Parts: sequence; C-alpha cells; structure tokens
Amino acid sequence: MTFEIRGGSFAYKGGRKVLDNVSLSAGSGDLVAVLGPNGAGKTTLLRCAMGFLKWSEGASLLDGEDISSLPQRRLWQNMAYVPQARGAASSYTAQEMVLIGRASRFGALSQPGRADFEAALGVMERLGILKLRDRRCSQMSGGELQMVLIARALAAQPKVLILDEPESNLDFRNQLLVMETMSSLAADGIACIFNTHYPAHAMRRANRALLIGADGKGLFGDVDSVVTEENIERAFGVRAVISEVETPVNITRDVIPISVTGPAGEMEARRATGGSRLAVVSIISCAPRSDLKINSLLHEYGGYIVGRMGMPYPAGGVNIINVNIDAPESVTAALTQSLGILPGVSVKATFSGLDGRDAVGQ
Amino acid sequence: MRKAGALRPRQVVLLAVLPLVFAFAAMCLGRMAISPADVFASILGKLGLGAGCDAQTEQILWTMRFPRVLLALLVGAGLSVAGCAFQSLFSNPLATPDTLGVASGASFGAALGILAGFGLIGIQLTALFFGTAAVALTYLAGRGMGRDVSAFVLSGIMIGSLFSALVSLVKFTADTESQLPAITYWLMGSLNGKGYGSLALGSPLILAGILVLCLIRWRLNILPLPDDEARATGTNMTALRGVTILCATAMTASCVSMCGQVGWVGLLVPHICRMRYGSNHLALIPACISLGACFMLAVDTAARTASASEIPVSILTAIVGAPFFIVLMRRSGGWKI
Repeated sequence: MTFEIRGGSFAYKGGRKVLDNVSLSAGSGDLVAVLGPNGAGKTTLLRCAMGFLKWSEGASLLDGEDISSLPQRRLWQNMAYVPQARGAASSYTAQEMVLIGRASRFGALSQPGRADFEAALGVMERLGILKLRDRRCSQMSGGELQMVLIARALAAQPKVLILDEPESNLDFRNQLLVMETMSSLAADGIACIFNTHYPAHAMRRANRALLIGADGKGLFGDVDSVVTEENIERAFGVRAVISEVETPVNITRDVIPISVTGPAGEMEARRATGGSRLAVVSIISCAPRSDLKINSLLHEYGGYIVGRMGMPYPAGGVNIINVNIDAPESVTAALTQSLGILPGVSVKATFSGLDGRDAVGQ
Repeated sequence: MRKAGALRPRQVVLLAVLPLVFAFAAMCLGRMAISPADVFASILGKLGLGAGCDAQTEQILWTMRFPRVLLALLVGAGLSVAGCAFQSLFSNPLATPDTLGVASGASFGAALGILAGFGLIGIQLTALFFGTAAVALTYLAGRGMGRDVSAFVLSGIMIGSLFSALVSLVKFTADTESQLPAITYWLMGSLNGKGYGSLALGSPLILAGILVLCLIRWRLNILPLPDDEARATGTNMTALRGVTILCATAMTASCVSMCGQVGWVGLLVPHICRMRYGSNHLALIPACISLGACFMLAVDTAARTASASEIPVSILTAIVGAPFFIVLMRRSGGWKI
C-alpha cells in the first residue's frame, strides 16, 4: 500500500502559507522522516496528511485514491495515528486504550468481541507492554504511554502508520525502544511516517526524508540526499557536521550541531553556493582496482584541484593520495561521497577554518 | 480470558438485584409502614399467585407507592446516565445536566409550557426544546476556550443563569392565583403525586435514551479522547456526539418535565461509579443505570418518610450533593475522565 502527498499546500484562514507544494510518498516498508525547524509546519503536515486539516491545494492519496473521498472507516482500517504522548492522558487502563484502536474494525452498535480483545493483547505482547495491561494511562511514564499509543494504532492493523514526534520527551533508552519498534514495523511492511526534531534519528532509521524549511517548501528524497550538512544549514540555520561513529556492530552516522549561522532558512531557492573553501582530501586506497576510478574522479574535479600528491606505499599495500581542493563545500562533499563509496577506499576531507576563506584566492 | 473493563458476572448480578431490593424496601416504607410479608403477598397476588392483601394496603401499594417507585428508578437512572454521557462528551468531570445549563433550560421550557397551559406532552416538548437549546448555547460559548476543565462549566453557569432569569420572568408574568404556585412547587422538584399517566408520558424518552446509550456504550469511550485521536478511530464523531447530546438532553428534559429540577444526581452517581468501576463505559453505563436508580429511590423514600410533611427531593439531593461537589472540585486538578 502506498501513501502519497501530492503538491500539498496549506494556509490558515487569512494567514501565510504554512506548507507550500509539499510532496512525499511512502510505500510498504518505507520509513519516512519529516524534519524541519520549530514552526515549519511538521505537525500541520501530518494533520493535513491524515485529513484532520484540509489541504488548500493538493491531496493525500492512499493507493492513488484521495483520502478525503474514502469512507472514514475504511481509511482508518488502513491508516493509524500515533499522537505525541504528553500530558492529558486518560484514566483508561492500557488494555482499554489499546482496544479503542479496534474501533474501525466493527460496527457502531457492536461491542468489541473476542477477536478484538485477542488482537489488542497480541499487539501489547509484541511491543512488550503486556505487563502494563491493567495500569491506568494517567499513571504511566512518558515512554510507557508512547508504547501504549503505538499499540493502540497497531491494533487497527494498519498499513500506514503516522507518528507525531514519537521519540521527543523520552529518555534515550525509551527513544531507542520507540525507534527500534518503528524499524521493526517497517521491516514487516508497514509504511511509517514520523516527525522528528533529530536529524540523526532520521539518518539512522529512515530511508527517506522530507525536510521542510521555514518557508513551507519541502525537499523530499532519499535520506542521504536530503539530510546533508548543506541542507541542514539551509533549513535550520545551523552549521552541523555529519560524522560517522564506529560502534562494535556497525558504523552509525550522527549529526552534530556546531554553531548557529543565521535564522532558520528557506528550502526554496537554493542559496547561491557559498564561496570556495580550501580543503585537503586524504585518500587511502587499498584496492588497486579502485585506483583507476579515483584518477578519473580527480580528473573530473580537476578544475578545483590546486595541488595533488600521490604516494604509493607498496610495503603497506596501499596508495596514499592527498588532494588540495579549493571548491564550494558541496562540491568537495560530493567528491568525498563519490570516493567514499568505492570499495577499499577510505577518504576524509579536512576544511580550512571559515576565517581563512578570504585568504584563499577566489 | 477476562475482558478489560467489562463487568464480572458477580457484579452484573449485584447491579441487577440491587434496584429490586431497593424497590421492595421502598414499597414497605412510608408514612404507613407495610410489612415485607404483606408486600410480598401483594406482589404474589398481582402475579396471580395468591389472594393479595386488604383493599386499603393494595390501594397504597399500587396506586400510590408503585408508580412513585418506578418514577424514582427511572429518573435516577436517566439523570445518572445523562450526567455520565455529558462528562465524557465534554471530557470534563464537572459537566452535568445542571452545570451545563440543560436543567435550567428545560425548566424554563417547562415553566413556559405551564404558563401557556399545555398538557404534560406539551410541557415535555418545550422542556426538551429549551434543554437542547441551552446545551447548544453552552457548547457554542465554551468552544474555542480549549478542553479546559473550566471552559464549558463556566459557559454552562452563564447559560444556566440566563435561563434561570428567564424562569423568573415567566414566574413574574404568571397568574399569581393558579400558575405561579404550580410553577414554583414544580420547580422545587418532587416525585409526589405522579400517577401511571404521567409515567407513561415521561418514560419513553428516558428509556429510549438509556437504550441507545447502552447500545453504543463502548463507543462512548472514544468521546473523551482529543479530537484528532477520536477521529483516527474511524468513528463518525459528529454522529456520535450528536446522538450522545440528543439522548442525554432528551433524558434530562423528560426528567425535568416529570418532576422538576432534581439536581446533583447526574454528578454524584457517575463519579461514584467511576471510582468503583473505572472509566470504561462498557461497565460504567450499566453501573450508572443501576446505582442511579437506587440512589434516587433511596433519597425519594427518605424524602417522603422522614417527616410528616414531605421534603422536596431536590433539597435532599442538594444536601448530599453540595459537599460532594466541593470535595470533587478541590481534587479535580488530577481528575481525568
């Protein structure tokens, strides 16, 4: 099942456009992160996506059908909503709360039957919250309540799950639990769309991302192409570094905010790429079959390269290349990315400080 | 497997038997006490299983006490269920037919009906109309102030006092010889002197309201949820809210048109039930029906037996209700529906 937002725009009555021609699509197994600075309209986007607010232009589509023309009950058998777990929790027990998720599965005059109780308990067991079944929601911690709300949404057996900041307000153990749950749901073929404040969570969990700027425009695509240092700076007005951290299991990426560079920006007109910045790209290749490719890439970027030093080191079985490059950061980043995905090649770019920019001839 | 929130068989039996026990006791009690044995014999007689009692006892039991017992059961159940529904609808523990202005609106309608010289049906219809108008006004006035505990109650108090003023206006224009005493006495709220006739006129709306809310009682669980979450259950919330308001208002207006403004029942009973049976309407609605009926019957029986001249029942419910209301308000900060 595919969920899509096509050219969605939204403005409050008489107000400015909060969202402007935003598109997104999520198929089975996709995990889509919606990112953006505070007030950029992330929550508005989700509310419009689910039909709680009406798009002024554009539409939300479920398998190509406009959801505003679908019967509510059918819509909510396929789609489910996980609100933020904050404050106003009710005094229902966890099991009663989860059971409410079954409401779209039987008629208005019927009471929940055995199958519904079993479905509710099954979901709770899967999420590991069976022990909470008789606890009142008002007496739960934020993490527990969030899991109960996810369970309530899953009780409807949806194919599309929409979560509003599922991990904010949680400590990092609970953040991890919630994110793990989302990953495993996506692995089961549920399309998950979630709002988040953390670009790092998007990088680590999502395969697609929508970045909304302060102007309400969105940039949608694969996570790697959307969550970049350049785009983060444009959308948030924050210089950030995307770094890789090696853990015993794998390499995870993290987004480290460095400094505020300006107001939260706009996603529309791509800012004229900033001036050049001197960088040294260090390459170590231990696979001879990659050397040819490295050479052709460096040739491709030849116009930016101001110096190059190659040092074959047969004793170590490697080839060491240092390239001095004077190019816009995005160009250097693209080169680094292209080099980095070659087998057997390690690469790292070291940039000069910003103050040095003037010293470098344009 | 135990169903979450549903009543256990033991509780079902208790809730079913309790009103019968109370009713039996109420038949025995009164200014002229009748022994349980006589009441039992008389009931058997009615069922065609015995000779019954002497004519005077039969007269008291079946022309005076029985309709009144039925009325008390009905009004108690109706007001409690209506109160419970209003609380969930406004997700506000202090929402009741009284605090939302429904009772005042219905009172105004009924007073207007008496002034116009309508019969009981006419009075009921005007009570229903103005009760609905009052709750609609309360909703419109309180909307947009958030789902705050105080918003709807504050607007309800305003609308309530508006209709109270209108009731005074009606009284002012009423004929002091016949209409004014009728309105005044009736407003005090009493279950006195109602025969089977008025019962037959007042009961259908109450019974229908109880039946409908009972049928959709599990869905009522969705009412207190925040709006987005409620809609995400795939339930037609406009219809659910509409049906709930209509039922609760019709029940309140019917009660008011039969026995005046009997306050506090719609607040007291649902909260006792919530404390005892939790917030799940699957259990809550049946509990409200049963305990509401018992409470009203107990208060009314006390009202007619306690002293030689009968105390209006609304005075007694207020004496029990006001302190409870204060306690409730003081702890309502942490009180959730």
